[in-house]
Amino acid sequence: MRYAIALMVLASPLAAQDTATRAEGLQAWDQIFAVTSHPRCTNCHVAEDRPMWEGLGYGAGAVHGMYVRADESRIGAETMPCRTCHVTSDAANIVSHAPPHIDDAWRLPPAELAWLGKSSAEVCVQLRDPETNDGSDIPDLIDHVQTSAFVSWGFTPGAGRSAPDGTVADLARELAIWGAADTPCR
Amino acid sequence: MKLNVNGKNHEVDVEDDMPLLWVLRDELGITGPKYGCGIGQCGACTVHIDGIAVRSCQLAAADVDGDVTTIEGLGTPQSMHAVQAAWVDHQVAQCGYCQSGQIMQAASFLDLNPDPSDDQIDAAMSGNLCRCGTYPRIRAAVKTAASKLQGA
Repeated sequence: MRYAIALMVLASPLAAQDTATRAEGLQAWDQIFAVTSHPRCTNCHVAEDRPMWEGLGYGAGAVHGMYVRADESRIGAETMPCRTCHVTSDAANIVSHAPPHIDDAWRLPPAELAWLGKSSAEVCVQLRDPETNDGSDIPDLIDHVQTSAFVSWGFTPGAGRSAPDGTVADLARELAIWGAADTPCR
Repeated sequence: MKLNVNGKNHEVDVEDDMPLLWVLRDELGITGPKYGCGIGQCGACTVHIDGIAVRSCQLAAADVDGDVTTIEGLGTPQSMHAVQAAWVDHQVAQCGYCQSGQIMQAASFLDLNPDPSDDQIDAAMSGNLCRCGTYPRIRAAVKTAASKLQGA
């Protein structure tokens, strides 16, 4: 029985965290923002046309090479599609400086979900409002974190790329706590 | 594994992680696509998968998910693709090593965006390096090919 309860808790972060204090929620948000503000996330969570190459040893403010554009399609269809280099593959990323790949079609998030250059308060307000977070409630956000090939790759990008601290499970847990505390921002 | 290249079906006995470029050049003897950097940074190996330009040096054979077209399958000397004809008109090539990749990139680009701006041409072609510096002629040839394709 104890094992079964442990499994349920592991399987459902929300069940593990029905309530949380405001302080716990703010602490959880800080952990979430530490991830969303990492270059592994902000390189693609951009408002503008150009994805970034920060956190790769090219220095701060480095934009993606090859004059790459996301374009309105957010997959570069109007110029050079992401998939020209970022292929769909479940193989490990082991080659330095080669374009990373995941088992999904490479693309940028919608421009409304831009995080690059935004403050913790700005991203917090954006992420807790379904009007500005792609229509997601907290369970949706947790599901995204747990199932997205992009998020999974972001924590284990391979080939010497920098990655945010923690794991997918850690981020899902912090989201559950933040949600249980009614998504405080400050 | 099975591969369709330039309209022909092939059965190749290769490791899953062999790059497509190796399969094309060493297994099938199709040597138009060139090896440059091996990590998708120069574009010399560019071929099409279902019409989309890809860097064959860093695409594993097992991950090929469509029909492959190389420069050999784009056109023939008797019936050139509009991009190839424009390349001849503008005498683009110098040493020529990057040119099959450049042409494949341009052909895929114009298929997706038949009426590009100059800036879009630069963006589409910036992943293909040319050590001879033929970039002005590449841009001119892409514009000529776009005009020809629109009039076709």
